[in-house]
Amino acid sequence: METTKNLTPDLFEPAETDVKEQEQIARKKLTFWGDVWRRFRSNKGALIGGILLLIIAVMAFIGPDMNPYTYRAQDYSVINKEAFGDHWFGTDALGRDLWTRTWYGAGISLLIALLAAAFDLFIGVPYGCISGYYGGRVDNWMQRIIEVLYGIPNLVVIILLLLWLDPGIFAIALAMGITGWITMARVVRGEMLKLKSQEYVLAARTLGASTSRMLVKHMLPNVMGPVIITIMFSIPTAIFFEAFLAFIGLGIRPPEASLGVLIEEGYKQLQLYPYQLFYPAAVLSLIMFAFNLVGDGLRDALDPKLRQ
Amino acid sequence: MGRYILQRMAYMLITLWVIITFTFFLMHLMPGSPLQNVEKIPEELQEAILKEYGLDKPLPVQYVQFLGNLAQGSLGYSYKYDGRSVTDLLMQGFPASAQLGIQSIIFGSLVGVLLGSIAALRRGTWVDNTANVISVLGYSVPSFVIATLLSYYVGVKWGILPTGLWGSFQHTILPTLSLSFLVIATIARYIRTEMLEVLGQDYMKTAKAKGLSRTASIGRHALRNALIPAVTVMGPLVIGLITGSLVVEQIFAVPGMGWMFVESIQVKDYTVIMGVTIFYSALLIISIFLIDILYGVIDPRIRISGAKE
Amino acid sequence: MGKKFNVALALLLVASLALTACGGVDQSQGGSSGKQVLNLTETQEPPGLDSSKTTDTVSFSVLNNVMEGLYRLDKNNEPVEGMAESVDISKDKKTYTFKLRDAKWSDGEPVKAQDFEYSWKRALDPKTKSEYAYMLYPIKGAEAYNSKKGKADDVGVKALDDKTLEVKLEQPIPYFLGLTAFATFNPLRQDIVEEHGEKYATEPDKMVYNGPFVLSEWNHNKDFQYKKNDNYWDKKTVKLDEINVSIVKDMNQKMNLYSTGKVDFTSLGEDYVDKYQGKPDVYQHNEATNFYLQFNTNNEFLDNAKIRKAISMAIDRKTLTDKISKNGSVPAGALVPPAVQGPEGKSFRDLAGKEYIKHDPKEAKKLLEEGMKEAGIKKIPKLELLGYDSSGAKKDQEFIKEQLNKNLGIDVDLRPMSFDQKLKLESAGDFQISYAGWGADYNDPMTFLDLWVTGGSFNRGDWSNKEYDKLIKKSKTNPDFDERIKDLVKAEELLMEEAAIAPLYYRSQLFLRQTYVKDLYTHPFGADFSYKWAHIEGK
Repeated sequence: METTKNLTPDLFEPAETDVKEQEQIARKKLTFWGDVWRRFRSNKGALIGGILLLIIAVMAFIGPDMNPYTYRAQDYSVINKEAFGDHWFGTDALGRDLWTRTWYGAGISLLIALLAAAFDLFIGVPYGCISGYYGGRVDNWMQRIIEVLYGIPNLVVIILLLLWLDPGIFAIALAMGITGWITMARVVRGEMLKLKSQEYVLAARTLGASTSRMLVKHMLPNVMGPVIITIMFSIPTAIFFEAFLAFIGLGIRPPEASLGVLIEEGYKQLQLYPYQLFYPAAVLSLIMFAFNLVGDGLRDALDPKLRQ
Repeated sequence: MGRYILQRMAYMLITLWVIITFTFFLMHLMPGSPLQNVEKIPEELQEAILKEYGLDKPLPVQYVQFLGNLAQGSLGYSYKYDGRSVTDLLMQGFPASAQLGIQSIIFGSLVGVLLGSIAALRRGTWVDNTANVISVLGYSVPSFVIATLLSYYVGVKWGILPTGLWGSFQHTILPTLSLSFLVIATIARYIRTEMLEVLGQDYMKTAKAKGLSRTASIGRHALRNALIPAVTVMGPLVIGLITGSLVVEQIFAVPGMGWMFVESIQVKDYTVIMGVTIFYSALLIISIFLIDILYGVIDPRIRISGAKE
Repeated sequence: MGKKFNVALALLLVASLALTACGGVDQSQGGSSGKQVLNLTETQEPPGLDSSKTTDTVSFSVLNNVMEGLYRLDKNNEPVEGMAESVDISKDKKTYTFKLRDAKWSDGEPVKAQDFEYSWKRALDPKTKSEYAYMLYPIKGAEAYNSKKGKADDVGVKALDDKTLEVKLEQPIPYFLGLTAFATFNPLRQDIVEEHGEKYATEPDKMVYNGPFVLSEWNHNKDFQYKKNDNYWDKKTVKLDEINVSIVKDMNQKMNLYSTGKVDFTSLGEDYVDKYQGKPDVYQHNEATNFYLQFNTNNEFLDNAKIRKAISMAIDRKTLTDKISKNGSVPAGALVPPAVQGPEGKSFRDLAGKEYIKHDPKEAKKLLEEGMKEAGIKKIPKLELLGYDSSGAKKDQEFIKEQLNKNLGIDVDLRPMSFDQKLKLESAGDFQISYAGWGADYNDPMTFLDLWVTGGSFNRGDWSNKEYDKLIKKSKTNPDFDERIKDLVKAEELLMEEAAIAPLYYRSQLFLRQTYVKDLYTHPFGADFSYKWAHIEGK
C-alpha cells in the first residue's frame, strides 16, 4: 500500500510503561456487593422475581386509583359480576370492585409482612448480635431463652394473641413478629460467632475500636447477607400466615381488605364465581413466588460455596 | 451424651412450663365466658355455674390447681363437650391427624427428594427449572386453596375420589396431597442445594476416578450425604403440617385435632385450648429433640456433647 | 445415569396412579334394598345429650328425635301428645294434670311420671349447672329453687302415681303445652343417670331412649347414626330405618357432598344460593328470630323518636334480604316474626294486621330534619354501630353503614365484635346502635315483647314507656288469653311507633333437600328438625 511508504520514525513515540502496572494481573475490581449484584443479575429467576416484586409493589400503590371505584364502595346493581367495563377483575358479593380491592389488599398484606419483618429486624438482629458478640455467660443465658422459646408453636401463640388483641394490621404484624424474630436471632448469632474469630476483627480490636464501632462498622455489614436472605423468606411466610389467619376468621376487620381476607371471601364463592378466588390467590401466589425467587437468587449470589 | 440428654430434657420441661403459663394467663385475659348461652341465662345463674366450674376463684389459685392436676396427668374436662375429658378428646382427634401428617411426610419426602435430586443433577436445564417452579409453587399456593380445588375438581367434577369425610384410605388421599405440597417444596429445595454442594466435593471426584458408575456414586455418596442435612428441616415441617392441618381438616371434614383446636378457640373451651396447646408444644419439642439426636447419630461430624453452632 | 432415575420416576408415577385408582371404588351405600336411609350433615357433633344440661342446636335436634317429652311439635309446630295421653287444665289455668300413655324406654322399662319429676327437679338443682333451667321458671317455685332461695319440695311438679303428673304454674300462660316439647322438659331415668354419673349420655350406650329413634353409633367428631326405636309407642308411624349424620363444618364441602349424592339434606350457604335458586330442592326454614337495630336512648341524638324512625326508614330491607343475606329472610317491619303464633293457630302477625316500618328515604330525610329541630341538634354526630364479627353479619353491617350514609348522610363507624364482647358492651350500655338478634324461647309474642320493659335486664337501650310497661305487666298474669293477645298487639305498635328498635329482617335458613326426602319437618322453636314422620320416596 502507498501510505506505508511514507512512514517516518518521527511518527512514533515510545509507549509509556509503568513497571507497577505491568506487574498487575487483576480482573476488573469488584466489591463484594458488586459481585453479588453481578451474580444476582445473571440469575434469570431472581431477576424475574425482582421485576415481579417491583410491579406488584407499584400496582399496590397505584392500582386502587386506576379506576373510579374505592375498595369499600358498594353497588348493588353489579353484584358478583365477572370482569366488565372498568371493573377489570369484576365485582364481589357486595358489588365492590375487585380490582381495587385486590391491589388495596395486596398493599395491606405487604404492609403487614414488612411490619412483621421489621419486628424481626429490630428484635432478632440486636439479640443475635449481642448474644454472638459477647459470648460466654451472656450468650449462654440468651441461648437458653431462645431454646425455650423455639419450642413454642408460633401458630398457637399468634392465634391466642389475636384473640386477645383486636385483629388489625399492627396486631397481626405484632403477633407474627413476637414469634418470628427467633429465627433471625439464631441466624445472626451464628454469623457473629463466625466473624468474631476472623483476623480483621482482631485487627480492628487491636487498633482500639470501640465495641459499638466494631459491631456497627465491621460486623453488621458482614451479616447483612444472611439477614437479607432471612427477611426474603420471612416476608412471604408472614403474607402466607396472614392469609391463613383470615381463613380461620382472625383476619383484619371489614371493610378493610387484605389478600387473606379476599381469598377467604373468594373461597366461599369458588363454585359459582371462581374468579373471586382466582385474582387475589394469583396475586398472593405471585408475591410468594417472586419473594422466593429473589430469596433463592440472593442466597445463591451470597453463598461463596456456590460461586462458579 | 447422657448428660446432654438430661440437660435437654430439663429445657424441654421449662419450655413446656413457659407455654402452659403463657397460654393459661393469655386465655383467661380473653374476653368472654365459656358458657354457651350467655345471652339468656340470668346473671345469678351464670355466676353460680362459673362457681361450680371453679372459675370464680382468683387466677393464681386456678393456675396452681391446673398445674396440680396436670402433674397428676389430668387435663380436666371440656366445658363444651359435657362429661368428656380433654384427654379423651385429644385421643379421639389424634389418630386422624397423625395419619394425615405421616402420610404427607412420607409421600412429600419421596417426591421432594426425587425432584430435588433431578434438579441438581440437571442444573440449569429445563428439568431444573421445571422442578424449581414446582417447588416454589408448593410454597406459594396456600394449602387451603389447593385443598379446595382438589375437593371440587377431583371429587365433584371428575368424581374419582371422595370429596371429603373420613373412613377408608381413599378419603385420606386428597387431604394428604394438599398437605404434602409444602413438604415437597421444602424437601426438594433443600435437597437441590445440598446435592449441588455435595456434587462439588472431592470425594465425588474420587468416586468417579475409582471408576464408580454415575448412578452408584450418586446413589451411594451424593444422595446419602445430601439427605443428612435435610433431616433438620423436619422440625419446621412438623409446624407447617400442624398449621396446614387446621384448615385442611376443616375443608375435608376430617375428625382431627386441628379442627378441634380452632373450634375450642371459637367457643372458649378453656380446658381444651390448654390441652391442645400443651399437646402441640410437646409434640414440637419432642420432634426437635429427636431430630437433633438423630442428626448427631447419622452425621459423625457432629459431636452432640459439645453441640454449639 | 438416566436409566435408574427414569425407572424410579416411572415407579413413582405408577404408585401415585395406583393411589388415585383405588379411589375409584366407592363405599357401598345403603338404600337400594328398600331400606329407608337418610344421610345428613351437622356442623358439629352434639356436645352433650344430657337433656338437663345441653345448650346447643345440634343436641336439641338429636334429643328431639331420640327422646320425647309430654308433647312434641308437629308439622305445623302445634304441640301434639307425646308421652302424655291427655291433659286436664284447671279453671285458673295454673294446674295441669297429665295422664301418661303406656310407653316404654328403649330398654323395655315403662316411662313413669316420676321420670319427669326427677328430670325437671334435676335441671333446677343448682348443682346440675343447667344453662337452660330458666325454661322451667313458669313452674311454681322453680326459680326460687334454682337460685337457691327455695327447696326442691316446693317446686310445683309432682308424680301423683306412675302415670299421673301434676304441674302447678306461677302464672297462667298460653304456651305451656308447647314448652313441654322442649328438651329440658324431657323425662330422665334416675337409675341410668346415676349409674353413669358425669359420663351420662356421652356415649350411645350410656343413656336410654324413649323417642322415635335410638342413637346406635357415635364416632366423636366424625359421625353418628340413628336407628329406629323398636320400643317406641308410635313406631308404626316411623318409616326411616337409619339416619347417618356426618360432621361437616365447611360450606364448600357440604355442597360437594350434596352434589355427589352423599347427603340428602344439608344447609345451603348464602354463597351458593345463586346456584340453586328456583330449584325444587331448596327448602326454606323460617325461624322465629328477628334481627334489628337497638338504639341506645341515652345517646342525645338517638333519644329522639323521629330520628330513630328516620334511621329505621332509611334502610332498604328488601335489598338487604334479597341481595346481601340471600338466605330467604323476610324484610321486617315489626318485632314479632310471622312464625310466632297467636291463639287458634293464627299467626301473631296476622292478628296485628300490619308491618309498621317501610323503606322511604325521602320521608326518612324529612323525619331526620324534624327530629333534629325538635331535639335542638344542629350537626349530625358520627355514630357507631356495634355488631357481630361473623362473615354474614359483617356484610349486613357494611350494608347498613352504606345505607345510612347514602340516604341520611350519617357517618357510621362499624364495631364488629365477638359474641361475648358485644354482649358485655351492650349490658354495660357502651354502644350507640347495636345490630342484634333475638330468637324465640317459646311460641308466644311475650318472648320478644318482654325485652323492652323499663328496667328489664335485656332492655339494653333503656327505652321506657309507661303504657308499654303496663300492658306487658298485665298480660303476664292475665288468664283471659284473648284480651292478652290484643294487649300484646298494642304493645308492639307502641314499640314500633316510638322506634325503640329498627327491625331489619325475620331470619330464615335455606336447606338443600333432595326431592325424594318427604315430610322432614323443621321447627322455629326448640329443636330444629323432626325425623319422626320423614321418609324416602321415589329415590
